[in-house]
Formats: sequence, C-alpha cells, structure tokens
Amino acid sequence: MDKLSREEVLHVAHLARISLTEEEIEKFRGELKVLMDDIDKIKNVKDVDDEIMYTPIDFNARLRDDVVGAMLSAKDATLNAPAKNGSFIEVPVMINE
Amino acid sequence: MSKYLDLSIKEIHELLVKKEITPLDLVEEALKRIEDNKDLNAFITINDKVREEAKDLGEVDPDNIFFGIPIAVKDNIVTKDLRTTCASHILDNFIPIYDATVVKKLKEAKMLIIGKANMDEFAMGSTSETSYFGAPLNPHDKKCVSGGSSGGSAVSVAGGLVPLALGSDTGGSIRQPASYTGIVGMKPTYGRVSRYGLVAFASSLDQIGPMTRTVYENAALLNILVGEDEMDLTSVKKEKEDFTRFIGEDIKGMKIALPKYFISDIVDEEISNKVKEVISFLQENGAVVDVVDMRYLDTAVNLYQIIAMAEASSNLARFDGIRYGFRASDVDDVDSMYTKTRGEGFGDEVKRRIMVGSYILSGENAKVYYDKALMVRDDITKEFNRIFKNYDLIIGPTTTRVAPMLGITKDDPHKAFMDDVLVIPVNMAGLPGLSVPVGINSEGMPIGLHIIGKSFDEATIYRLASFIEEVL
Repeated sequence: MDKLSREEVLHVAHLARISLTEEEIEKFRGELKVLMDDIDKIKNVKDVDDEIMYTPIDFNARLRDDVVGAMLSAKDATLNAPAKNGSFIEVPVMINE
Repeated sequence: MSKYLDLSIKEIHELLVKKEITPLDLVEEALKRIEDNKDLNAFITINDKVREEAKDLGEVDPDNIFFGIPIAVKDNIVTKDLRTTCASHILDNFIPIYDATVVKKLKEAKMLIIGKANMDEFAMGSTSETSYFGAPLNPHDKKCVSGGSSGGSAVSVAGGLVPLALGSDTGGSIRQPASYTGIVGMKPTYGRVSRYGLVAFASSLDQIGPMTRTVYENAALLNILVGEDEMDLTSVKKEKEDFTRFIGEDIKGMKIALPKYFISDIVDEEISNKVKEVISFLQENGAVVDVVDMRYLDTAVNLYQIIAMAEASSNLARFDGIRYGFRASDVDDVDSMYTKTRGEGFGDEVKRRIMVGSYILSGENAKVYYDKALMVRDDITKEFNRIFKNYDLIIGPTTTRVAPMLGITKDDPHKAFMDDVLVIPVNMAGLPGLSVPVGINSEGMPIGLHIIGKSFDEATIYRLASFIEEVL
C-alpha cells in the first residue's frame, strides 16, 4: 500500500498543531494517504461551472446594533479553564526576557 | 414498571392533562429504562437534576403536547450546567455556561432533558464508534452499529428509552442512524433551525433536527425547533407554519423522482427490492414516480470530504487547552501546550480529518481543492433545482446496506465516508431530507427510505412519509 513519507505526515501534523507519537506517525502514513487520494479525485471532475457556493442559502449579512449587551462574568469566562489564578487564565510563559 | 413511554406523545399528553400521571412518572420510567439498558451505551451524561425539574412541573398545567416529555439531546449541543463532551477526551469535563437556542426552545416547551446522547467524536464518523466513551449498540442486534454520528440519539429512541431525541446532521448523521435503527429522522433545510450552541463541525453543512418514533411526532417537534435567531446569522426568517398540516393526506398526483444512482449496484439487493416495492405501492396510490438521471451525485462524498474536513480544521482550532477542556501536562511553552493538548485530546478520526483539512486549506491547495469542491457543490445544487422544477420530491434508499457489525469500518478512513454516500448530496445543497422506516431485511435489520424535499418544504416530505408509515 502506498504511504506518505514520515516528513509529509509531520508536515500536515504541524499545520494542524497536533503532536504525534512514533506509533501514530507510522499508522497515519497509510491512513492519510488514503484520504489524500480521495480528495485528489476532485481534480478529475469535469464540466464544472466556475460559480462558487459557500453556503446553501442566500442570506444578507445582518448586523446587530453596536450597543453594549450582556457580558460574561469573570467567573463564567474562567469556569472551564484548565489552569487559572483568581480571575486570570494561566498559560505557559509566552515572552522570555 | 409503568409503560407510559410506549404511548404516543398525544396519549401521554392526555394523561398529563387529566393529572393521571406526572412528569416525574415519565422521568422515573425513562431513567429506569436507561439503567436497565446500560449496555446500549446510548448516553454519555445523565442529567442529575432532571427529577427536581420534573417535580417543579408537577403543579403546572400542561400547555403543549411536549410538556413534561423526556428528551435526549446529542452531546454536541450545549446545555447550561450540564456536561457537554462532543464524545471527546478534550471536552470530557466541559460544563457549558449557556443553552443552545434549540435547548432554550425545549425548555420553553417544558420538556425534560434526560441526558446527553452518545455520538461520534465531534460528529465525525458514521458508526458512533469514534466516541471516546465507546460505541452505542443497535437495539435490533447489539453486535451491530447504531450508525452515526447521532448514534446515541437514535438508540435512545429505537431502544424505547425516551420517545424523542435531537441529533445533528452534517453529512447524513441524523438520517443514516435513523435508518439503521428503524426510526424517523429529519435533517431540516439549512437555515431552518438555529445552530447557536451546536459545537461547529462543518458550518456550511451542519443542521440540528428531530429523531422520533413516528412521522407526526417528528413534524410536531420540528414545529418548536425552527425560527430565525439573532445569534445565528445563517438562520432564516420564515412565516410560521405547522409541519403536521399535510399529515394524513393522500398522495394522489404527487410527482416523485427516483435518481438512477440511488438504485444502482452500490445498493444492497434486498434494500433495492424494498425500495422498488415501496415505489409500486406509491404508484398504486396515485403518485407518479419516474426514474431520472442526475449528474454529480457520485461526486458528493468527495465534495463532503474536502468541505467538511477543511471547515472542521478551522472550527476545531479553538481547542487549544487555554479557555476550556483538557490541557496536556508537562508542557514547556505555548506551542507544545497546543500540540500536546490536541495530540492527547483528540481521537484518531478527528486527528485525520483536521490534518487533511489543514492541508486542504494551506496555500495554493485552497484553490485546488476547496474552491473546486465549492464549484461542484454549486453544480450539484443546480442539478437538484432542475429536478425539482418537475417533481415535488426525490426518493431513494437512505443507506446502501443495513447496519453493519461493530468494528468493520473502524480505522478505515475511506469506508467511514462511504456509509453516507446516499445522504450526503442533500447537505451539499442544503435541502431537507428525512429517513422513514419501510421494513426489515431477511435478518431483521431495519431499512429506511430517504425522502428529499425542496428547500424549506419539509411539510411535503412529512406528507409522503406519513402516508408510507400509515400503510406499510
């Protein structure tokens, strides 16, 4: 069975910001190749109009009035944060001095 | 043990109005059934406040037919203060801080959310086997899959645990499990039901819809789900209508198209024969059924793969381990927090789709794949419109085969899409589609008929479906 190279798998994993174990890299080499071959079939579809359809309905962009509405409380906003300190969400150090 | 939940919604309503039973009786019965059928694995989370909620309704007079009725909600629809996991490790402790618009509507009708139904992880799959919480089982044969991605919703209804459920359908995820489990499942027209609070998979395809035991109950439940919502820009304003209004009418003069592709050799012979039987029956009852050629139907899976994976890769970028959900431990910096969280938090099917989706949208690939798919999508929609100039409805089988055994398609990235080959075209064009049971095969597994309607013409679908349900 055709497979992607290890580098190709690591490239798409990087694009998706997903870390993979060595075992996964090997497994996805074959599985991703199947999907890549599938999506390539679109190139063979002939006789296509060049009109693009982003969404099935025609809708006019509706905008809400630009007024202050209900806001989340700090408690709600941080309720599900995996690491927090008071009303702040903790993340690893982003800027080194 | 009482058997009120085996009654129709109308019959249950009459008992509630006469105060012969209370909402708490219904909830106790549903919880007992769920407990007795735990092996079906239909639910991820049970609402531990549902008894209190039912008691609170005890003194209230029923004001609509869904008052006090227990319902299952697919676990990708957010419910305030009730865990919503999308069947994923990355959200397995997520407590939403608001209700989806459809959930608000259920609560306004004083329905009782019994729990959150199992599903494929982030709705990605066709058997519900990609759930982090294990696959739900088909009540007709527990060795078989329930279908997916709304497998838990389908099992909860087909297994008699609750009379009604909500599912979501991106590429057949309501209709295909409805067909595999022998219930009625409707994907409404794109824009008919607000998607606010539905955890987005592929935003231009996703739609929430009802899964029920009967056509009437399906149409009646859709009545309360629909409507424009300022929180969802793609929801559409329409005149209020009663989707049950044509139920019980005959089908004389109805014009129905059957695309050749839907009875081609990709469909199991027993299913094809059943569909042909139904067609003869429809003709005998005054409907005109013509076999028609339709172009581009065979490209739909390909389009779906490209559009759904691309949109999923963008939508699921929000799961970064910062604001909610799982965060990997032992990370050195922000980059490793993102990649390790996503690597450990997502299952294989989701990883595959996000990786290929990111590739599809990267650089020039967006034109080669995504834009081309959207062009063919436009063509397939025009093809549906061409058929609908001369016909009221399009029909075919919902699936190419009955529910397969567990494990057959797991980890097969291609087969996971092919289960939905007959239902995906509808999502491409944003049309309404419904699966109604039309019998069983020689092994006792349910077969579904797929009925596709014109945009925003769900009522005509229900007319045909109710006629078939009544007589078959």
